[in-house]
Parts: sequence; C-alpha cells; structure tokens
Amino acid sequence: MERTTNPRKLWYKLDLSAIVYPTLQRRNFSSVYRISVLLKENIVPGLLQKAVDLTLPRFPTFKVTMKKGVFWRYLEPNNRPGPFVEPDIVNPCMPMSFKSKNRYLIRIYYYQKRISLEVFHSLADGSGALCLLKTLTAVYLRLKGYEIPNGHGVLDIDAKPEPEELEDAYMRYASSRVRPHRSKAKTYRIRGTWEPFYTLNIITGILSVNQVLTVTKRYQVTVTEYLNAALLYALMLKQKDDRVFRELPVSLAMPVNLRRFFPSGTLRNFITMVYPSIDPRMGDYTFEEILVQVHYYMRYYLNDKFLNADITTNVAVTKNPLIRVVPLFIKDIVVRQFYKRIQDKQSSAGLTNLGVVDVPEEMKRYVDRFDVLMGQPFSARTNCAVVSYGDVLTVSFASSIVEAEVERQFFRKLVQDGIHVKIETNRNMEGSLCRTV
Amino acid sequence: MSYCVNCGVELDKTCAVCPLCNTKVCNPNEETDHVSPPPFPVRRGYTEPVQRGDITILLSVVLAVTAVVCGLLNFFVFSSNAWSLYVIGGCVLLWIFCLPVFFAKVNVYASIVLDGIGIALYFGMIAWRHPGNGWYMALALPLTGLAAAMILLFVAGIRRIRLSILSSSVLVLGEAAVFMVAVELLIRSFRQLPPGITWSAVVLTCCVIIDAALLTVIRRSRLREEVRRRMHI
Repeated sequence: MERTTNPRKLWYKLDLSAIVYPTLQRRNFSSVYRISVLLKENIVPGLLQKAVDLTLPRFPTFKVTMKKGVFWRYLEPNNRPGPFVEPDIVNPCMPMSFKSKNRYLIRIYYYQKRISLEVFHSLADGSGALCLLKTLTAVYLRLKGYEIPNGHGVLDIDAKPEPEELEDAYMRYASSRVRPHRSKAKTYRIRGTWEPFYTLNIITGILSVNQVLTVTKRYQVTVTEYLNAALLYALMLKQKDDRVFRELPVSLAMPVNLRRFFPSGTLRNFITMVYPSIDPRMGDYTFEEILVQVHYYMRYYLNDKFLNADITTNVAVTKNPLIRVVPLFIKDIVVRQFYKRIQDKQSSAGLTNLGVVDVPEEMKRYVDRFDVLMGQPFSARTNCAVVSYGDVLTVSFASSIVEAEVERQFFRKLVQDGIHVKIETNRNMEGSLCRTV
Repeated sequence: MSYCVNCGVELDKTCAVCPLCNTKVCNPNEETDHVSPPPFPVRRGYTEPVQRGDITILLSVVLAVTAVVCGLLNFFVFSSNAWSLYVIGGCVLLWIFCLPVFFAKVNVYASIVLDGIGIALYFGMIAWRHPGNGWYMALALPLTGLAAAMILLFVAGIRRIRLSILSSSVLVLGEAAVFMVAVELLIRSFRQLPPGITWSAVVLTCCVIIDAALLTVIRRSRLREEVRRRMHI
C-alpha cells in the first residue's frame, strides 16, 4: 500500500503474508526463495548488472529496505547503490540480514547460463518475483542485441508502475462474513540429521511436461494434484520406514496463488496456504487412494468462497485494534512462538507449483528452462517447488537435512509411472557438501 | 547418459553417485565427466556480518560521557560526598549488560556470568562506601551468585534441552521456590536467628502445587493436548 504521493516519503505497509517472515528471521534462517532462468548462452555479468540497474526502478516494491516501527515493520525505498550481481554459490537462499548488502532484500546471481533471483518473502510471492525475473531477462537479452517485446509478464521498464502492482490485495478482497476456525492436528515430522550451517541440499528433477500430462490424464487428475499425491505417498512411506511409536497424519503446506480466484495485478504477496493431507492411522493408503483424497480436497477447498474466508480470518487479526496497539517486540515473540509451536507443525513438507511460465514468443528461443527453489525450511524437513516452461517441468527439493529418503521415494514413484526423470544436484560438489559420497 | 540402477533416474553426467540413494555410477561406456562445469557452482556463500558498530559507539559514548560528566560535576561542583561513584558504577554495569547487543559472538553463558560479576562488584562498591554489618558477604554476594546460577540453569534448559513452555514454567517455578527459601534462610542467618522457614514456606507450597499440576499435565498426553488446544493463541 502506497502511503503517500511524495516520492521522498514513500513507504509501504507489509502485506498480510509479509508480516510473518521478518519475525521468523534468525541468525541461520531467513524466508528467502529463489527463481532461476537458464538461458542458451553464457551470462555476461557486466550486461546483467546494467539490466538490473535499468529494470529495478520499474519495480519499486523490490527496491526497498526493511524498517522497524513501534507497532509494525514497513518497507522503505532504498536508494543505496546496488543490488550488485554476484557469481552464484553452492548454498543458495542463505540467511539475508536486513542490514547487510546495502540493505537490499533481493540478490542476483549468475552461473554459466543461469540467472538466479533470490527474494526475501516479505517483498513478493513467486508470481511477483517471476515477473521481475522475466523483465530482467528480457532487458538483459535486449542489451545483448535481441529484439524482445513486452507482454506475457515482461513489463515495460519505461512505464510507471501501476497502483495495482503495489497494492495489498488481501485488504481488497477479504470480505467473508464468517471466519472459519482453524484447528490443525500435529503432523508427521521428518526425522533427519541437520546439515551444518551454510548448507542447503538441492535435488532437482527435470521432467517432460508431455510425459507428466500423459500420466495425469491416465489418473484423471491435474499435475499439481499428481505431484502432491506423489509427495504425500513418499512421506507416508518414510513415516513407515521410521517405525514411529505413534503414527501421525501426513500433510503438505501448499501455497495457492490467489490471483487465480481474485483478479489482481499485484506484484506483492497474494497467496494463502492449503494443507492436503492423509491420515495413515485410518489405514494404509494406496497411491491411487491418496490421489483421490488430494483430488477432492482441492475441488472442495480451492474456490473463492473458502479462500476468501481464509484470508478474512488473517486480515481480521491484523485489523484487531487490540492487536494493533501491541508493541512490535511483543508481537514478534508471540508470532514466532505461534509459528514454531503450531503453524510449522501443521505440515510435514512444503510444495509449491508456480505453474506454466509464459514469455514472449521472441524470447522463447533464448530460454532453456526456469527453476524455482522454495528455500531453506524452518524445521528439519524438505521443501518442494515445481515450475514448467515449454516441455520442461522441474521439481526442486531443498532441504537442510542429510538424508534424501523422501526425494528418493518421490522420484522413484514418478519413474514407476513411466516418467523419465533427470537428476541434478548440488550435493557432493565439495568438502562437507559431499555427504552422500 | 548414466542411470541409477537403484532408482531408475537419469543422472547428470558430472554425478559420481546417485544423490538419491548413494549408489555409485558405474557406466563402462561413459565415465563420469569431471571436466564439464557441474550444474551448481562450487563457491560457497557466507552472510555478511551485521554492522553493530554504530549502536556500540553511540551507547558507549553516551555512557562514558555520562560517567565522566558526573565525575567532574561531583569533583568540582557538588563535592559533599562521592555520589558520582554510583552513577559511574551504573554506567559500567549498563555497558556490561549491553555486551550481547554490541558483539554478536558473545557467549550467552559468559554474558550472564559477567552480568553477575558486574552486579556483585556494584554491590561491593556500595558496601565499601557504607561499611556496615557485613550485609554484603552475608546477603548480597550469595544472593547474586544464586540468581546468576539459576538464570544460567534456565538458559541452559531452554538452549540445550529445548524445554517446552510447560517444562520451562516448571523450571521457573522450581527455581523461584528455591530462591525464596534461600532468601529467607540467608536473612535469618544474617539476623542470627535459628535456621527455619516461615513466609517462604507459603511460596514454596504454592510453587510445589503448581509444579505438581504442570507435571501432571506434561505427563498425561490427553490433558496436555487439551491444555494446548484451550490455551493456543
């Protein structure tokens, strides 16, 4: 939300989702995710830096710094030099201090043919960040001499930002007259060995979209439902292997892009979470049964009424006058404890599907694929992120634990269903990352 | 291209083992490629240290100036007694309390011990200024030491054992009861009364009752879930 028209005094309130992420900040954790684009030519760092300098002013909500007020945090425009492009690192999504790197909350890396954008989640969700990355890539390709038009998510860098791009869309749409009660049971938590600080294990599976669609047609489900079911199945098998004393439900935390249900051009956060789950205490599930469960869960919950009620519940909390007058440091303690003790325990893993990435026709011949990485998980578990471009669908797991049992079960299920999977990883690259050797 | 014989996935040509199951890649027709760049870089990133210099300098200067100015004021203007020693001692104590804010790498246990020593020294200075009936050695020093030890125990419980809220409450109440009993015993000893407890017995009883209730809640999972459900924020 733009609070004033005077450019020298611009500031933005954190949106509904953005409020939570800074409170979870700790020395070894930040809510940072990464979106990458793999081009067909090696990256020229000088041109990329120029492209960043040209593109970022068009995205004022990314060129900001995090500030603390008495009652809430807020974002303030950042006119310090930067952000500067850097050679990529083996441990992406590392903690992002609000006061380092000239206080920018985004990072841009390059490696071989890949440009990676890392974003602190308070600034934007995956859709907003993808828009920035697509525009940045288009500007970079233009600087290389190629003709790339605007459109398909590539914004005109000479135009002024639309007010809608900067809005907190939650406030516009939260209008439900009832607020559903949220009571979530504890779910299965993966038991694993924590990796040392500065380690994030990534395993990326590269799949053919056509092959995946053939399989999903056979099962009569969508790609998201199929991948959700495969991950739930992998987690269920892992829980069985763990020989736990008391079985618990297996649940996934899945962000839903609300723009599909509530039209908004916002580049900031506009997501809510749903939790498809199975309860193995009721009996053993076959994969097909999990698919049915996920399929009908999605049909039941993913509609504007349920989602509206969900976001209204969250909005009501931030609008409550009693909560608003509580000093920020108390809110931080309460929110952190709530997240640690309740919210984080509601899911066994995270799965996000950014969907199909579309770029202008003229840009397609320079782009190989897009990757998305959900970032470091808050607790010992694995996060899975999916994105597709052309005929390439990538499934990237990010985890801070040594074991890769869930990833193995997941990809083995896909292989069993006849999908060809190619694996890339940052494991066994060097030193302590070489855990699997 | 090589496939994992165990998982059936195709592996990147730079992979020497399957990252999913640790199975070694053994393809006589295609050796592992050690020349091509791997899909991920090898350079490791580190976060920049947070700049705490500004706040350290600001607070240190404010405290130092306060101490010096009060000292000068005491020496040249209001010189009837050495009142500035209390202000200077307070400033030093505040600076010691702020050490974790100034330096990110200060060990929390060392910081608590330093705080305890600082408070003990401050009391020592007051005792030196007002030599009396031995209150410092009999009361102030043992109570400061006990309080520091209890805070250390609590912090260790939170950080090392990762106590839940309920378990932490049990520990805090237990420590409070012990501290109150120690206070009364030390006061009685200081006043040369026979050892025994009176008012601290009331505190002790209350803490024992609440601790017993909390321990029951902790041990009974159904009860614990019910409390968690009713008390959740």
